Amino acid sequence: MTPAPPAFTPPGSPTEAHLLLVEDDEVIRNTVRMALERYGFTVSTAADGLTGLEVFRECRPDLLLLDVMLPELDGIGLCRRIRELSLAPILMMSARGDALDVVSGLEAGADDYVVKPCESAVLVARIRSLLRRASLPSVPRNGADDASEAEPEVLVFGDLSIDPRGMEVRRGGELLALTPTELRVLLEFAASPGVVLERRTLLSRVWDHAWQGDTRVVDLHVQRLRAKIGAARIETVRGFGYKLRR
Amino acid sequence: MTLRWRIAALVAAATCTAASAVGVLVHQASRDRELSQARDAASTTLDQAAMIYARTGAVHGSGAALDAPNLPSDLRDLVRRGHRGSRFATDPDGPAMWAARPAGGRVLSVRVDLGTTIRDLGALDTNILLAGLSTTAVVLPLGVFTAGRMSRRLRIAAGTARRIAAGELDARISAANRPHDEIAEISGAVDSMAAALQERLRSEQRFTADVAHELRTPLMGLVTAAELLPAEDEAAGYVRDRVRVLSTLVEDLLEISRLDAGAERADLTPSAVAPLVEEAVARTGLAATLCTERADGAARVWTDPRRLERILANLVVNAHRHGGGEVVVTVGDDGRTVTVRDHGPGYPQELLTGGPQRFRTGVKERGRGHGLGLTIALGQAQVLGAALEFGNAADGGAVAVLRLPEDHGEEPAEFEE
Repeated sequence: MTPAPPAFTPPGSPTEAHLLLVEDDEVIRNTVRMALERYGFTVSTAADGLTGLEVFRECRPDLLLLDVMLPELDGIGLCRRIRELSLAPILMMSARGDALDVVSGLEAGADDYVVKPCESAVLVARIRSLLRRASLPSVPRNGADDASEAEPEVLVFGDLSIDPRGMEVRRGGELLALTPTELRVLLEFAASPGVVLERRTLLSRVWDHAWQGDTRVVDLHVQRLRAKIGAARIETVRGFGYKLRR
Repeated sequence: MTLRWRIAALVAAATCTAASAVGVLVHQASRDRELSQARDAASTTLDQAAMIYARTGAVHGSGAALDAPNLPSDLRDLVRRGHRGSRFATDPDGPAMWAARPAGGRVLSVRVDLGTTIRDLGALDTNILLAGLSTTAVVLPLGVFTAGRMSRRLRIAAGTARRIAAGELDARISAANRPHDEIAEISGAVDSMAAALQERLRSEQRFTADVAHELRTPLMGLVTAAELLPAEDEAAGYVRDRVRVLSTLVEDLLEISRLDAGAERADLTPSAVAPLVEEAVARTGLAATLCTERADGAARVWTDPRRLERILANLVVNAHRHGGGEVVVTVGDDGRTVTVRDHGPGYPQELLTGGPQRFRTGVKERGRGHGLGLTIALGQAQVLGAALEFGNAADGGAVAVLRLPEDHGEEPAEFEE
């Protein structure tokens, strides 16, 4: 609530993550790049979708920040094209903020979205959350650290086998390409099979948006996950959330 | 009484009336014809008998009789006065047509027996009655059936209209196209009305989203640029502060326009109200005393936590900004009523009578706030199906009461037919 003066935390410690920002508005492109650089990120930029795709192929960034409305190839299309090439985390930025933008972006494979205008601190928090998901050999966080040493055997649910350490998921022996966020959602389910997980719980555990988050993000990730691991594996408990079928 | 049974009763009444009228007329016409034939026959016989009598002084074999004892007395009187006449009468031998005339000081009369004719008429009446009953028996079920179909089609139309009113804009009656059928006509009219409504709503929503895009894009640049200004510069501080005010204002206006466009849908989950209220108040960062009248606090209602939080935050902020004194937030013992009261001057009369007005803050100088908070709270309450009432406490202070809806059930209530 208080006006956070731009906090350069931690000062002088570059996170070294390489971001690609695709945004057609020149002022946003430059100011966001400058703000992110102050936080220690390396930022490449592109002003339209096709250039964005080209830059992506050249520099393989760790994370993409895509505006939805872009000339040439729009953010949704760009997101879809990138998903064919890579599982890199994608954060969409929407100025419209309506279902069309948000839902299509998430359906196209984005991991999260922010509505403009947003403060750099919020943007950075989302970026960091996404990078954490992508980098950690993630073990569900309710397992203690030393327990995780003994635990990480492969979890099997029907034709689905999940290796939390190797971050590998197989269905009928075949390796599945899951985005880091999809994998994290699946691991949350796998950590408590048969238990109903509320959408808000998933939102805070996977996306770190404790309170004000949009639960459509969860719904659309579950939808994408179902398309990959089989629709029947995750059950909807109307109004409450979802659970993994053992 | 349903339309179906009203139409059925009408059909039955109409059929019975028509059958009775036809029956009475046929009965009357047949009787008249029979009697007039009998009268003619009697008259002819009488004239022949009179001629025979005049010639022979006897009436044997003519079918007539002299001074017949059964002759109706009024006819006998008529003849005695020198007239001739005929009359239908029922004597001990049965119904008969009598004709009589004077014949040399005596009364010459002819009796034509009508027993068979009257029996035939009776049979005719029975047949007419049976025909009437069987017509009713055939027509009535047809009427009930047709009326039932009409009534069902009308009910479907009414149900669909209700569903559309409840926000299910995709609902259509989709009645078969029947020319000259009024129900098909009204169904078509309701459908096209719904389509027009839906299209209008969609374009409103598109417009709202486009406006949002046009306003937020430069604002995003402004917000980020302002953050890049030197932290300790006084002027930069003003810029950041105003940018923040502008952002809030734009978001509030966009929220109101989304609410006005009817674009908002509640995302209902079972939620415990008391903890939600606690969280919402804590997030405002403002002081408020929290009371929960219900001890267990576990009562769950189907609501949208984000919207509920938005309403409560706006009420609490408003209580601090325009009210004053201690702000008390109470969760009622039904677990679905939340009261926010302060101990300030209370809501202005204008607000109590006319509801919250945009950009009317109640304070003349309009120093703080934009007067959008209560409008948003009211709009969000409507999205939740909740009632939000504004009043003043007897001992001073503004009181806002939010009543969450009674029963949402598992799914939104569907129209039942």
